[in-house]
Parts: sequence; C-alpha cells; structure tokens
Amino acid sequence: MVDDELLKTHRQELRRGTVVLACLMALRAPEYGYALLKRLDAAGISSDANTIYPLLRRLEERGLLASEWNTDDARPRKFYRTSTAGLELAAQLMTDMTDLTASLHAMNGGPE
Amino acid sequence: MTQLTERYLAAAMRSIPDAQRKDVERELRSSIADALEDRVSAGEERTAAEKAVLEGLGDPVRLAAGISGRPLYLIGPDLFVEYRQLLVMLLSVVLPIVGIIQVGIALAGGDSYAGAVLAGVGGAWTVGLHIFFWVTITFTLIERVDAMRDARNEITGAVGRWTVDRLPALPADRMSASDAVGEVISSALGIGGLLFLSGAVWFTDAAGDPIPLLDPDLWSYLVPALIALLAALGGLQIVVFLAGRWTMPLAAANALLQVAFTLPVVVLALTGSLLNPAFADALGWPPLADGRGPVMLSVAAGALLVTGWEIYDAFRRARRADARATGIGRREQAAP
Repeated sequence: MVDDELLKTHRQELRRGTVVLACLMALRAPEYGYALLKRLDAAGISSDANTIYPLLRRLEERGLLASEWNTDDARPRKFYRTSTAGLELAAQLMTDMTDLTASLHAMNGGPE
Repeated sequence: MTQLTERYLAAAMRSIPDAQRKDVERELRSSIADALEDRVSAGEERTAAEKAVLEGLGDPVRLAAGISGRPLYLIGPDLFVEYRQLLVMLLSVVLPIVGIIQVGIALAGGDSYAGAVLAGVGGAWTVGLHIFFWVTITFTLIERVDAMRDARNEITGAVGRWTVDRLPALPADRMSASDAVGEVISSALGIGGLLFLSGAVWFTDAAGDPIPLLDPDLWSYLVPALIALLAALGGLQIVVFLAGRWTMPLAAANALLQVAFTLPVVVLALTGSLLNPAFADALGWPPLADGRGPVMLSVAAGALLVTGWEIYDAFRRARRADARATGIGRREQAAP
C-alpha cells in the first residue's frame, strides 16, 4: 500500500506542469480567476486557488496571457485570455503531453 | 466584506510592490467575493463560509510571495553554492590570521598569555560576525532585487557552467581545506612569532631601555622582508588549495620563496649577526649569539633541513598529482 503522504507529493509533482497547459487551453475563451478555477475543477483538473492566482500573474508577466478588467458587472473582474504566444506554447506542450502519455503506455505494456 | 477579509487583504498587500498593489488587491477582493457567494448560495452560513474561503487561500504572506514572484528564502539554489564557497573560504582564511595577529599585538603590548588568547578569540569572533553578516546581506540583496539580476548572472557566470574540469582531484592528490588552513596558520604564526620576538622585553639595559632579542640592525630591512615572504608563502598555500593540488610551477614558486626566506636567516646565523649580542650578554651566555656556537649552528642546520624538506615535499606532491592525472587520461583512452 502506497503511503498517502507520498502519493500526494508525487501527484502534486505530476500535476504541476499540466496545470499551466490546462490554463492556457481553458483561457482560449476569456475567463476570470474564480470561474477558471471552477471550470478546471469540473473538468477533473483540480487545483488550489493559491496556486492558480499566482500562476495567472506569472503567465501574464511572460506574455502568455493577456488580461482586461471588466467593470460592466456589479463586481469588477479581471479577465484573462491566452495570447498568440500562449497558444503556440500550448500547442507544443500538448504534442509533448500526448507523446509522453503514449510512451508511458508503451512502457507500461512492457517490451514484447 | 467583513473585517476578516479586510484583515486578510491588508496582510497580503503588505509585501506586494506598490506598482502592483491596486490591481492585485482588486482582483483578490473579487475572487474572495466570488468564492464566498458560491458557498453561501450553496447553503453555507456566511461567517463559516468566509473563514473557509480565506483558509483555502492559505497564509496571505505566502500567497503574496507567489503573486509578486518574490522568494520566501534568503538565498536560493542559484546562488547558494557560491555563497557557501565564499563564506567558507573567507572565514577559514581570514579568521586564523586575524586571531593570530591579535594575539601577537596583545603579547607585544604586554598582555598575559591568557589575555592575549582571549584577545585573539574575541578579535576573530568579531571579524567572523562581520564577514558572515556582510556576505549574507549582499547575497540576499542580489537574490531579491530585480535590478541586480545582472550582478546575479555575473556571479553565476563568473563561476560559469560546470564542466568535468572542475571535478576535485582524488583525495590522495588533493590539498584538503584543513591542510591549507594549517599552512596559512603556520605562516601567520611565523609572522606573529617574528613580531613577538622583536617586541617582547626580557631584559633592560642600565638605562632601563629594552634589549631586543634580534639584532636591531636587522629591523630596518630584514624583518619586514621576512614577514612579506611568510605572507607570500601563506598566499601560495591558498593558491594551491584553489588549484586543488600542487603543480610543477607552484612547487617552483614555493622553492623560490623558501630559499629567499631561509638563505638570509642561515647566513646571518652563521656570521653571528642574527641575535643581539647585548641580549646574549644580558642572559649571561655569550655563545648564544656566536656564529660558531652550538645554538646558531643548530639554527642554521635546522632551517636548512626544514626548507629542504618543504621544497622536496612540494615537488613530490606535484609529480605524483601529474602522474595520476596522465595515468587517468591513459586509462580513459584505453577504455573501449
């Protein structure tokens, strides 16, 4: 039986990189922080608020996301959208992810 | 919004840079409100829901550090190796020297031995604290200030990319840090000893003036030169330590410095002009200063023996390290 703590740590490690990819793909349609969190959660990519909020800032700083304040509603919200550079990166990462999954599956099947 | 949320926001904003603060606060405020509303409309009690939302966000200081991209550590992995290297080198080289000089000064000033040791330890402690503090504060600044990113790259760049050339020599060839420190200490002891011998007062003449142990004529030129040579020998040991091992050129430099130090001492001893004759008279044993007396003959012989060994030992270590290096090279070439 795998130790719960150990499983948690390694799951976190495994997911760390994929959260970036998930955000870049989810934000092809503009969204604000809390709604993105809910959407990722519903898609089965659960992540913590205190991971997502700093991540959005970092991705924006690097030009992978663009942001805009929407003040039409009663509550002003900051909407993020994946930039062109972000889309390119997401496409590249998605290919890598698919290859990686295929490789792992092949390895799991073992050498014939 | 209740006071709890306001307190959370205030705590988080404290460490956010001014330029970002308004934007970050506005976004965080609306995010908290969204989450709270969600929970309340799901039937949760408002106060409990607010508590849950804030605790879900975690420590505000940690969240702010993530948002502003500022590290939660003093010196991170990029700089830590350089930081530690510099600190260890400075402390291990400077502290013994400072300690011994302090002891020398205290003794020359007429302190007791215990008092002098205390002064040495105290001096080394103070200087050590200064070194630790200033090195740490400098690296911390470089770690956090964005404008210093260039300085940071320069430091990691000066140290450069790691290559196999940087592998330390095998322990048999390598001069260990403790060897290097030992050698530097012995150089510093030599300097302290010279200062002590020239300053200590054992006898006074009829007029009450001190009778120095060393011939006063030597003071004008030889003692400063000897001190400089001892310092150079200590410096050479540091170079050897940094190079990782003795090499032929370093052994040659060592031989040159050793000869430059010993030759004048031997010549002076044999001609009877090393010690002050007046000192020998005061002691009541004139042969002490006599060039053909037993003491000066043994001083000369001892100096020659020690110097000969030091020169031979450096060459021997250099040759052995060279042989091992080419031996390893040959083995690598032979391997398939």
